[in-house]
Amino acid sequence: MPRAVPLFLFVLVIVAASGRPAVAQTSNATLNASVNGLARLSLSSAAISFPDADPDAVPSIQATPGAINLTVKARTLPGGTVTLTVVANGPLRSGIDTIAASNITWVGTGTGFSNGTLSAAVPQVVASWTGSGVRTGTQTFFFRNLWSYATGTYTLTMTYTLSAA
Amino acid sequence: MKAFVTMLALTCVSSTALAQQLDLSLSTAVVTFPGSDPDTVPLVSAAPVQVTYRVRQNNRATWSLTILGAGDLISGPSRIDITNVTWVATPAPPFQNGTLSKTVAQRIASGTGNVNPSTIGSITFRLANSWTYSTGTYTQTVLFTLTAP
Repeated sequence: MPRAVPLFLFVLVIVAASGRPAVAQTSNATLNASVNGLARLSLSSAAISFPDADPDAVPSIQATPGAINLTVKARTLPGGTVTLTVVANGPLRSGIDTIAASNITWVGTGTGFSNGTLSAAVPQVVASWTGSGVRTGTQTFFFRNLWSYATGTYTLTMTYTLSAA
Repeated sequence: MKAFVTMLALTCVSSTALAQQLDLSLSTAVVTFPGSDPDTVPLVSAAPVQVTYRVRQNNRATWSLTILGAGDLISGPSRIDITNVTWVATPAPPFQNGTLSKTVAQRIASGTGNVNPSTIGSITFRLANSWTYSTGTYTQTVLFTLTAP
């Protein structure tokens, strides 16, 4: 019976020490992030050429250096529409001679990219999709080759417009 | 029997008196990531946050400072996963770099024993910038917790 007291004491001391409460201090912070509207278009080439060819042998001339790679980056509202269009500044011109811009067509590849016919009057849709992100595609241009064209070196300028709404 | 009661009472009082004392404060309650072009600023840094902390009566026990996101960054229907937020913390040690989580508190700093007087650490939060984010002003709360042992 006298040995029971020390054993009891030991058990109680251990329990009291292990019951020491863990403590914690907390502090809150708020993270704010601004994401602004932004759009960027990159073309792999700023110029294309249609080499001279016999209209009977090559009725449709493919542009060189081949397909243009387009990289389109846009940030927009959730569900917002991103649209890339192209318009010519006028017909192909060589001095006083002209060839209608509509004689130039293109084939588009890539999600959201479409085929089309160039216009000097109405911007034509090159690509369109919904939401922010980066899209890539290609455009391969073709020129309708006719015997009726006057000889010369013809040029025109195309303007691409990327918009997000 | 009287001696036993006295000894037990002393043990309990001593344990309570030795409870750790922790202090934690932040230099700012708002961390702001400015709008930036993802091509030129792929990682958007916020102004550094100064963390002041003190640990007393901790003996040789460990202490740790953690952070937990209350959720993703939210702007209306849009979300940016909170794991896109990382931080760089100094001095190391006791501080360490890491990535925010909304499920598991992440350790920012840890050590053993006391930190007294108050000590300052610096945390710079960074947001991985992306073209895929929808436009908007995103917000979320993060919770800093200093614990011992």
